[in-house]
Order: sequence, then C-alpha cells, then structure tokens
Amino acid sequence: MTTQTAKKPRYLADSPRFLAGLFMSPTIIYIVALVGFPFALAIIYAFTDITTGDPSLEFVGLDTIKAVWNDTVFRRALGNTFWFAVISNLFVVILATGLAELLTRDFKGKWFVRFLVLLPWVAPVSLATLTWLWTLDSVFSPIDWLLRQVGLIDQNMYWLGRPSLAFISVVAVQVWRIAPLAAVIVMAGMMAIPKDVHDAVEVDGAGPWRRLFEINIPLLAPIIAVAVLFGVILSMADMSVIYVLTRGGPTHRTQVLSTWAYFKGIEGGALGQGAAVALFLFPVLVGLTAVILRLARRREVL
Amino acid sequence: MVPRRYPRGFTRREFLYFGGAALLAAACGPAADVTTTLAGGQGPSTTGMPGEPQISFREPTQSISGELNILLWSHFVPAHDSWFDPFAKAWGEQVGVTVNIDHINTAEVPAAIAAEIQSGQPQHDLFQHIAVLSQHEPSVVDMTDLVMEAESRYGTMLDLTRRSSYNPHTEKYYAYAPAWVPDPGDYRKSLWEAVGLPDGPSTYDELLEGGSQIFSDQGVQLGIGMSQEIDSNMALRGLMWSFGASIQDADGQVVINSDETIGAIEYMMDLYSNAMTDEVFAWNAASNNQGLNAGTLSYILNSISAYRTAQDDGLDVADDIYFTPALAGPETAIVASHVMYNWIIPDFESVNVAAAQEFLLHYTENLAPVAWHSKLYDFPAFPDRVPELNNWLDNDPFGSNPPTKLQVLKNSTDWATNIGHPGPANPAVGQVFGESIIPVMFAEAAQGNMTPAEAVADAESKINAIFNDWRGRGLIG
Amino acid sequence: MALLEVRGLRKEFGDVVAVDGVDIKSEEGEFLVLLGPSGCGKTTLLRMIAGLEHPTEGQILLGGEDVTDLPPRARQIAMVFQSYALYPHMTVARNIAFPLKAQGVDGPERDEKVKWAAGLFGIEHLLHRRPRQLSGGERQRVALARAIVREPSVFLLDEPLSNLDAKLRAAARDDLMGFQRRIGITSVYVTHDQVEAMGMGDRIAVMRDGKIRQMGTPEEVYHHPADTFVAQFIGSPPMNLLDWGDYILGFRPEHFLPEGVQDGGDRVPFDFFVNRIEYLGSERYLYGFIPGHEETKVIAMLPATVTVPLEEQRQHRFSVASDQLRFFDKDGGQKIPPQTIQA
Repeated sequence: MTTQTAKKPRYLADSPRFLAGLFMSPTIIYIVALVGFPFALAIIYAFTDITTGDPSLEFVGLDTIKAVWNDTVFRRALGNTFWFAVISNLFVVILATGLAELLTRDFKGKWFVRFLVLLPWVAPVSLATLTWLWTLDSVFSPIDWLLRQVGLIDQNMYWLGRPSLAFISVVAVQVWRIAPLAAVIVMAGMMAIPKDVHDAVEVDGAGPWRRLFEINIPLLAPIIAVAVLFGVILSMADMSVIYVLTRGGPTHRTQVLSTWAYFKGIEGGALGQGAAVALFLFPVLVGLTAVILRLARRREVL
Repeated sequence: MVPRRYPRGFTRREFLYFGGAALLAAACGPAADVTTTLAGGQGPSTTGMPGEPQISFREPTQSISGELNILLWSHFVPAHDSWFDPFAKAWGEQVGVTVNIDHINTAEVPAAIAAEIQSGQPQHDLFQHIAVLSQHEPSVVDMTDLVMEAESRYGTMLDLTRRSSYNPHTEKYYAYAPAWVPDPGDYRKSLWEAVGLPDGPSTYDELLEGGSQIFSDQGVQLGIGMSQEIDSNMALRGLMWSFGASIQDADGQVVINSDETIGAIEYMMDLYSNAMTDEVFAWNAASNNQGLNAGTLSYILNSISAYRTAQDDGLDVADDIYFTPALAGPETAIVASHVMYNWIIPDFESVNVAAAQEFLLHYTENLAPVAWHSKLYDFPAFPDRVPELNNWLDNDPFGSNPPTKLQVLKNSTDWATNIGHPGPANPAVGQVFGESIIPVMFAEAAQGNMTPAEAVADAESKINAIFNDWRGRGLIG
Repeated sequence: MALLEVRGLRKEFGDVVAVDGVDIKSEEGEFLVLLGPSGCGKTTLLRMIAGLEHPTEGQILLGGEDVTDLPPRARQIAMVFQSYALYPHMTVARNIAFPLKAQGVDGPERDEKVKWAAGLFGIEHLLHRRPRQLSGGERQRVALARAIVREPSVFLLDEPLSNLDAKLRAAARDDLMGFQRRIGITSVYVTHDQVEAMGMGDRIAVMRDGKIRQMGTPEEVYHHPADTFVAQFIGSPPMNLLDWGDYILGFRPEHFLPEGVQDGGDRVPFDFFVNRIEYLGSERYLYGFIPGHEETKVIAMLPATVTVPLEEQRQHRFSVASDQLRFFDKDGGQKIPPQTIQA
C-alpha cells in the first residue's frame, strides 16, 4: 500500500467520508423529516393566516402572533403551562428519587414492584388516562367512595368540575405518568454509583437521611437534572393527559399551550394561530434545556 | 357484527370517542378501522326485519371509473357501518368504481381532513364529518350542481341542512348535507311524574321548577353541561336562542352582547345552583349519556343513541327514558341539530370528483335504508326520500316500549336549527364552537368568576376577534 | 480476651456457600491477613465483620460483645475499600470529616481530628482538593485517613493496595505497616497477594472455598503448611510436591541444593535432571525433574552465592536437608508426620 492509494480510495466504500455520510444519513433524514421540517412549517405557519381549510400561505407578519397574544385564554394557558410543568416535576423528582431508592434495594417480589412502578409509563397514555377519567368521575369516583366510607366527605368532590381540584387532578395524573420514567433514569444513576461508596457510607455510620441528602442527592444531581428536563418537556409538549381529562376546562383553568394549540389550530380551524401558540413553547423549552444542561455539566466537573 | 359492550351501557365506539379517542386510536392502530370487506358480488346485509326499505339504484349520469376512497366516522350506531360498507362497495361494483372505506373515530376526523388537505395530495376523494366543515371552503369542490341535481330528483332540501352547507356570502355549497340528527330532550319519566310532569318539561321554567324539585326530593340532578365539549355547546346554544339571544344575526354580525344573553346566563345560574352540581363543569361528551343510563340524571339534551344503547344492553332505565321537543323559552323553542353530516370533496387534480358526486346521489337515493340501519338516528335532509319515517316513529321497529316513544321526533324539523342560527354555519361560528367560548361564558358566571355581563363581554371580545379574522379571509360578510 | 472473635461463621448466597464455618480469634493490636485466591470467601468474611453482610450462621464478637445483628454504624469499625470509595463530590477535608459528622462530632473538635488524621498520612496540603484531582497513592491515604479519623477499635482493609502500581505498592505497604504499628490498632487485611500477606501479617489466615485452611504466623504457614494447597499457594515459586509412593513429599525450591553446597546435618540426596536454567541476577532457577518422577516438574532456586557450575540437559546430584522435607497425606493433602525416605 502506498500513500497514494490511502489518499484516494479505489472504491467508494473505502472512502471514510462517503461511509460517514452513508451511515449518518438515516439519522439526518430522520431529524430533518420528522423534526426539522414540521418545526420549520410551524414557524412559517405562525406568520401566516393559514387555516385547516385553506392551504395557501399568505404572510401577515406578526398579526397572527399578536392575535394569539391578545387572547386572554392564551395568557391563562401560558401561566397554567408554567405551573403545570413546575409543580408536577417538583413532585416527580421527589417521587422518582424515593422510588429509585426503593427499587435499588433487595427485597422479595422486587421484579413485581418494578413492573408495577413502570406500568404507568408503558401503558398507552390515553388508555391509562381514561382509567383516571373514571377514577376522578364526578359520580362514580372510587376516591370519593373511599373518602365517604371513612367519613371525610359527605358530598362528592367533583375532581374535574372544580377549578382548583381539576388542576390538582391533572398535575397528579401527570406526576403518576412521568414519575416512572424519572424513577428509571434516577435508578440508572443510582446504580452507576459504585457499591463501595454505598458501603463506605454505611460503615462511616451515616443514617438514611444523611445518606440521602449528603451522598445520594448530590451524586445524583446531574442525572436528576436530566430527568427533570425530560419531565418538563413532556409536561409542556404532551397534551394527552389534559386533553383526555378536562379538555382544558373548567373555564380554561387547566388549559395549557399544547391543548390550546390543538383546540385553536385543529378543532377551531385557525391553523396559523395554533402554530403560533405552539411556537411560544419553543423558546421556553430551549431556555430550560440550556439551563438544565449547563447545570448538569457543572455538576459533572467535580 | 355484534359490537362489544362497555360498562354502563356504551358501545365500544362511543366509549372510545367520548374518551378523547384521537389519541387512543393512534395507540391502538388499525383496531379502530372497521372497514368491512365483502366477497365480490355479495350485496349489503339486511336486518331481515319486516318493513326494511330496499336499496334502490339509478344509473350514474356521468361516466365514472377508477377508485373512490371515502373517509368517515365510526357511527355511534354500529349497525350503520356494517350496513354502509357493503352498500357502498356494492354500488361501486355496479358502476365500475373500486370503493375503499376508512372509518375513523370522529374525534380524529377534523385532524385527518386538515392533514390531507394541507398535504396537497389527499388520500381520500370524499370526507364526511358530523359537524359543519365550512372552514374548508377554499379547498373543496363547490357542490352547487350536486345540490341542484339532488333537489331536482328528490325534492327540496331542508333549510336546516342547507344553512349548514351553503355560504350565502360566497354563494357556494362548500359541503353536501343530505342527513342530520335531531337533539331532543331525554328525560326519566318516573322522576318527572313525581313532580307532576309525566310528559317531561316543555318549557325552561318547567325544567327549572321540576328539575329543582327532583334534585331536592329525589337527589337526581339535571344534565345540562357547562363544559368544554360538544353537548354543552349544543345545549347552551338552544337555551340562548329560546331566550332570544344568539351569537350572530342572520347576516353574520356578532350580536351576543345583549340582555337576552344575560337573561339566559342568569337562568343557567339558577338552574345550576338549584338543580345541578359541579359535575357539569367536568363533563366530556359521554358524561350526560352515561349519567342518564346510570340513573343519575333526570334530563339531558341528546340524540337517541344513549337510549338505543340502553335498549341494546337491556338496561331497565331504557323503558323509563322518554323524549321531549325543544323547551320553550321567553322567545321561542328551538335547539341545534345534534349531528350535521357534511360531505366534502377536496378540490385537487387527483380527486375522483365525478365518482364522489355520483356516490352522494346514490346515498341520497337511499336515505331510507340509511335511517333504518342507523336505527332512526340519521334523519333525511330530503324528507321525501323517507316517506315511511313518520310511520316508523309512530311505531318504532327497534323495540321501544311503548313503541310510540319516538313520536316526538316526527316534527323535529320544526324545532331544530343549524349552528349559527339565525345566520349560516360559517367558519367563524365553527371556531367559536371549537374553542367552547359559549360554555366557558356560562361557566365563568355560574362559578362566580365573573358577573353575567362580564362573562358576555369577555366572550364577545373573543368572538369578535374570530369573526374579524374570518371576515379578513372573505368567507363571511 | 480476644478483641475480635468470629465463631462458626457461615454465609450462603442462594446455593453458593461463600463462607463455610470460620472461627477466628484476633488479639489486640494484631495485624491479621486473610489470604486466598479470588472467590475463597475472604472478602465476604470481611464484609460480615464490617456488618455489610449478615451471616447465615455464627456470631461476631467485638470486645466480647455480640455485634452479629448490629448495623455497621453501631460497630466500632472502619473499613478501607479496594476502590477507596471516596465521595467524589466532597473535598478531602469533607471526606475525612464525614464519619465524624455522622457521629455528631461538631465544630473545632471535628476540624482538629481531621487535621490529626490528615497529618498521620501527610496529606494536610490536599485537604481542599477533590478526589478526582488526586493520584492513586494520595487517594489511598485519604481513604485511610477517613477510616482512622474516628479511632475505630478494628480496622478492616479490603485489598487497599491492589489499585497501585508495583513500585508505589511497596512504599505504601511500608507506610501502612508503620502506621499500624504506631497506632497499634487491630487490623484485618484482605489480600490475594501472598507477598503482601507474608510481609505484613502478624498472622495469616489462608482461605479456600470458604474455609480457613491454616492460620498462623508467616513462618508457620510458609515452613509448615497445613496442606498441599497452602504449600503451593504460599511461596514463589511454590513448594515442590512429588508423589512419593504412600505419601506426597514436599520441599521448598530454595532448600533443593547441589551436593556439596551445604554439608553437615542429615541430608537426603536426589538426582535432578536440569532442563533449563533461568538466571535472574540475585538467584538462579533450575527447572527439571527427578528421574523416576518425570511427570512432576521440580524447581530449584539457588541464591547468587551458590556458584557451583551447572549445565542444562544434564543430570546433577542435589540434596535437601531432611528437616526441610514435608509430608502430606495422599488423600486429603493434609500434613502428616515425617516419614523415612528412600531417595
């Protein structure tokens, strides 16, 4: 072999550049087709007055975005989105850390408990949420039944009928839904901590609380940040829980940007406005991603 | 096909639909598709019951060939679909067109239509939806010729369906609406007998008085929703009209901010505090049906499908469910149609327009079997095509006890109107509907978040924005 | 009274018996080494003493008190792990202070003790660093300092030198011994390295298959191995073992010398066919066999001081002092009393 042949491969398949391109192309095509293209389309739509019935694009500058912004429902949805994501993920982190702690322990029937914990995540979201719809039913809610049996209430709670209860309900179901994913992420992080460290903590005489707050949580902070990132993005971008449970009601008290984009754009027909609503999620998500990734990197450099 | 039963008297379809099935169907995949395939030459199935109307056939006037791909909902009365698919395919064989039918959950239909039209290459030649599709006007075939042909053959179309398919501003039929579904009051006779109204309420005053008394004496509440879903939207529009209020006038101008609207809201606040619970804010489209069949509601506004399900499931409550026409308010007594079938043909080169139009004529020709196989759920927009309808309603072939129960529906065209009344069902009206502005207006006041006047003003500003938006597109006057 | 006592200790993991009836009595200030090949149960034994594993059977006593059911933090023990198990998110100072904090030792007292422990290992200048900024040797010292800081009554070490390179290891061994002698703390040290064991242990417990095969001073286990396993596991090269009719005959390579190098005393002569000679500077290794026992390789190790000329592929006359011959039972490999021998 001379250097000549090394520089100029005889066959295309010998060319590292060609091969790199070839092997990368599925990913690139995937990202462009399924992420980039719809995203670009959403941006374009937000500057037009496009409707579901009229595919022609007429640019109207900021009119569509202004119309969306001036809508009081949008403002409410914006606030709800924030609180929905923040409150649910606060609970998700607490719950996930606890669950992960439990799941890394050895006990009888561990596989079954693991299975149960993961169930909300593997079950199709809409199907699972339908079960919640029944659980929170105004008349037949088993929660109400239980509360009545123990004498805590004598009237039904109307979980989805009262604004604050409805918000609590969608947050609770969202937590129930995301916590398993977060728990698995945190669990992976826990298992990555060498066993020796856990043993050292025990020999050094730390109790469960010290172990949790001085060892586990600081060591898990980067991985918890990742779990939070996923949780927040899921809470903001995925509308299934709210769509099925409340459709944004009562009186838009549980309306979030993702559901509002759907009702506005698809059910209402104002596609451009729907895209503009959805687009408001984008800077928020980018900002959050940047913040969390930066936090994660800082923790990594110990 | 025997539909699977779900708890509390629901067919799988209703269960899926009401549960927010867009997502569900995506998760379940093709399970939601109930397309029936028939061996060549085999005709549509029949109920084999006496009095069943026969399929009639007329040669197409245009020369047609190729494929006809139809997308429509999975009917709430499953028997309809097991009849419809072979019916359409048999027609295709007779005229030399390959007919393919996709049924999807009705919640998914708007998104599917939007996606196919946005793509510029729709996969279907004919779409059907159970609500008005006026927003699609710019990208669909004008149905004027079809309507004229149908009227020349089958007599005048109902004003109700015309106003739900015709845009007077552009003078264009954006859809073809050959059938509709009435929305009577469904009440529990035993409960109303106890308050001296054995025939159910006939006015809103009676609804309030009787409903309140039933609630306080018997603990069963009324079922008029104020939630962000279709039935609440329908019921509250009926209330507004009967109180002399409306969203727009006959010319498409926003007139919601009126004393009449405030009157309707105040009435609803009374109704809520005396005869209902917070449940009504939580409802989805299935809730009032479920409540009626479960015995927890004394009166709801709905089609007969909940009742048919109760019958099919052998629920005792079926015999106790009776129907009333629209309740009278201070001004009049009208309600919206429960379902308004809109068929549209997307205006693209690849679309088999001729076959689609000919099929719609064939469908109109056979509105009698349509009504029959939907168990009298679907009503014709060309009443002449179903001369037996009133006889069937007098003596329900599908097992009502007593069989005269559905008589109330005989003159339902007198008390039913279109969304957008007294104006046309234009896209602005559709968007107001889609965003549930009317139920939210009522709920804001009922929950005490706003005074009735504030709630109306808030709704008005949102509605004005929507109307101005569509006015800018030239689709409304 | 023994400071640390283990009675009939047994540990099963499912069907696997990791530790199979171990008894140990350790004296105050003693440096006890648990030596054995990997999988012999020595680490499990150590972890049971630490309280990290609960024994299936048996008792553990510390200072006469039964601690079998006590958690680690209730035992006066400290442990150094193979990986050192430093807390990566804490500075050296916080690492060392951690066991004190857990004990509720606060303020100046804690700082003082941290300084004292760091001083013991000469790592005061590293206190503000984090573990990832330290070398292997420094980490080991931090681990030791963290273990010693709360003055435990027993010090457990799980192969603490195995992550160091050979040169550093010798130095670290020396440091460790010096420190242990100074503090005089009872230590249990786990290793698979017999050189480490011989060099450091006051006593060595040689383990195999969950059992202690022999317990004794380095001299005892080296010169008087209890069985053929110990004979071969300890010593490099290991003891030569020959099938000698009714029993197994053993002798150390360094006692297998050419005739005439060492005279006097009672010596048993052997013919030795030398296949190959390895010259290693300070010594020579001779590989070969004894005629009539061709199947068994025999090694002789001659110190450089033995300058007798020897040739490869030749038979030579060798001998072993008869008191250096060891005899083992053919069935169990157990040590048996000296036998008369016909060479």
